[in-house]
Amino acid sequence: MKYITTIGEREFLVEILDDDQIIVNGKLYHVDFQDISEQPVYSLLLEGRSIEAYVYPVEKIWQVLLNGRFYPALVEDERERSLRVAVGSQVQGRGEYQLKAPMPGLVVTVAVVEGQQVEKGEVLVVLESMKMQNELKSPRSGTVSRVRVASGDRVEQQETLLTVS
Amino acid sequence: MFNKVLIANRGEIAVRVIRACRELGLQTVAVYSDADRQALHVRYADEAYRLGPAPSRDSYLRADRILDIAKQSGAGAIHPGYGFLAERADFAQMCVDEGLAFIGPKPSSITAMGDKAVARATVSAAGVPVVPGTEGEGALSDDELLALAPQIGFPLLIKATAGGGGKGMREVRSLEEMPELVQSARREAEAAFGDGNVYLEKLVEGARHIEIQILADTFGNTIYLGERECSLQRRHQKLLEEAPSPFVDGDDELRQRMGAVAVRAAQSVGYVNAGTIEFLVDKDKNYYFLEMNTRLQVEHPVTEVVTGIDIVKEQIRIARGRPLRYTQEDVRLNGWAIECRINAEDPYNNFLPSIGRITHISTPTGPGVRVDSGIYPGFEISPYYDSLISKLITWGETRAEAILRMRRALEEFILVGVRTNIPFHQNLMDSHRFMGGQFDTRFIEQRFSMEAADINKDDHAEIAAILATLVAHRQTQRAANIIQRGARDTSNWKWLGRWERLQR
Repeated sequence: MKYITTIGEREFLVEILDDDQIIVNGKLYHVDFQDISEQPVYSLLLEGRSIEAYVYPVEKIWQVLLNGRFYPALVEDERERSLRVAVGSQVQGRGEYQLKAPMPGLVVTVAVVEGQQVEKGEVLVVLESMKMQNELKSPRSGTVSRVRVASGDRVEQQETLLTVS
Repeated sequence: MFNKVLIANRGEIAVRVIRACRELGLQTVAVYSDADRQALHVRYADEAYRLGPAPSRDSYLRADRILDIAKQSGAGAIHPGYGFLAERADFAQMCVDEGLAFIGPKPSSITAMGDKAVARATVSAAGVPVVPGTEGEGALSDDELLALAPQIGFPLLIKATAGGGGKGMREVRSLEEMPELVQSARREAEAAFGDGNVYLEKLVEGARHIEIQILADTFGNTIYLGERECSLQRRHQKLLEEAPSPFVDGDDELRQRMGAVAVRAAQSVGYVNAGTIEFLVDKDKNYYFLEMNTRLQVEHPVTEVVTGIDIVKEQIRIARGRPLRYTQEDVRLNGWAIECRINAEDPYNNFLPSIGRITHISTPTGPGVRVDSGIYPGFEISPYYDSLISKLITWGETRAEAILRMRRALEEFILVGVRTNIPFHQNLMDSHRFMGGQFDTRFIEQRFSMEAADINKDDHAEIAAILATLVAHRQTQRAANIIQRGARDTSNWKWLGRWERLQR
């Protein structure tokens, strides 16, 4: 079985031959892969090297916690991959960014108005939660197209606060 | 004398106090909000009673409810922990009025030290140096603050009069940006402490934050338990503390001078029980009184580890009217201790608090490791309380050993379900400036970045990709097996067809 696994900008072609052998980007490895009872903990012996990691899915992405670092990985077989590439090419260029509340809280300030130009890193909303005032910044430059909240509003987690397009 | 203690707090500190009570053979009473019914402190205590809904003001800040519960349960003493009601003189007074022992200082000491302006005036009268600021001016209006600011000079700090822990604190670089910052500081102070009063203080640049732990009994004995280095902060929130301080260590004369000044500051308000005097120390080793925390500190374990003195048990003994078990000569510092505060915050996303259910925990153990924690697998991190979930403390014979041990312990510490700042601490342990003890209170904000630290790290993306693929593959296979098993009950022709397809 062949998979294309994407981490950040990098792609790995992983072919699983059987329980003991895999080919990664053309290189053969001997593996012994076990899951530790009832937990998302896995032990991998990769050519004798002992590796332990937590691997669990969040929506479609596998979160790999390895040596204290998170590696979000997208694993696709060839069919899924070609499907995604075909669909992806149609929606490209729209790219709206919806700022969602990362946690429930109280909107302290909405620092922007509709139609305003914002730079990457500019503060959009200040949200109070866990007794702290948290600045939510714009991940990219653009125009604020729709503001859905005002200061003083209580918001739920994942509620859309505003849109940058 | 009391035999039952009510702990008016939650989380790791409530658990910590319950442990001390257990060791002393005292009964414990926990209180909880609706968000904490299943919390560890409720389960560890002998008795537990509901306070109210999740928000602090409806639960852990309800002094009246807490006192009712104390009376009904027959508790003879209240330990306030830190935060919530710990530094509220009115609450301490209510306890005294109800005939309950408040495990902490006298209400008058909390008042004297709690209003920072009064505190600075009091200690400076006792000969303790203070940082210039609007001391002794009382509650000032916005206009008065703006008028006084240029006299103190920029940069300066706006601080909450009732505050602590960096809440309601703002740094001001110019008069122009000040009005807005005063507003936001007042708002945050109001939300956190129910008191929007603020004051101004000169910002000592390149300063270290070093504090002295003191213990005082009711017989007039006051001792200091050495210093703690708390300069590693972000937005005035401490992230890592150590004892002793690399800046003070090797200069016994400085330690003794600061210790003596701390004792004098405590005595100037007739202080009893455990307390901490915070100092700002500049590069020339001038020290200024910052404030006194009239309670147990979050970072008390590092002092416990190097002195061998259990501060919480000592607090309880003092409250029971016993004399201190130690004289100043008995206090010896043995080795080095470091504490990392493990917060539910994402260091890769501007330290944004992270909430959710903790699904798995693997806690470090082994030689020289202590974990003070209030969480367990299945515990829900709610948005109502602060983000500190655990404290990891390591001890070493030397600072280097403590650091190496911390590295090892951080690697073992695995928390799944919420994002934590563990990767931040790991990067900090690898930082040359940290290893060399070369840092001030600005280090984290001005000289430290996660991105820069990660560049030097080994990249395990390929291994991560292999792991993710193997897990995904296993899941796909498992799903296929389930279909196969069911398939046997259908027509054999269908079964054969599927079998053939699988073999292709």
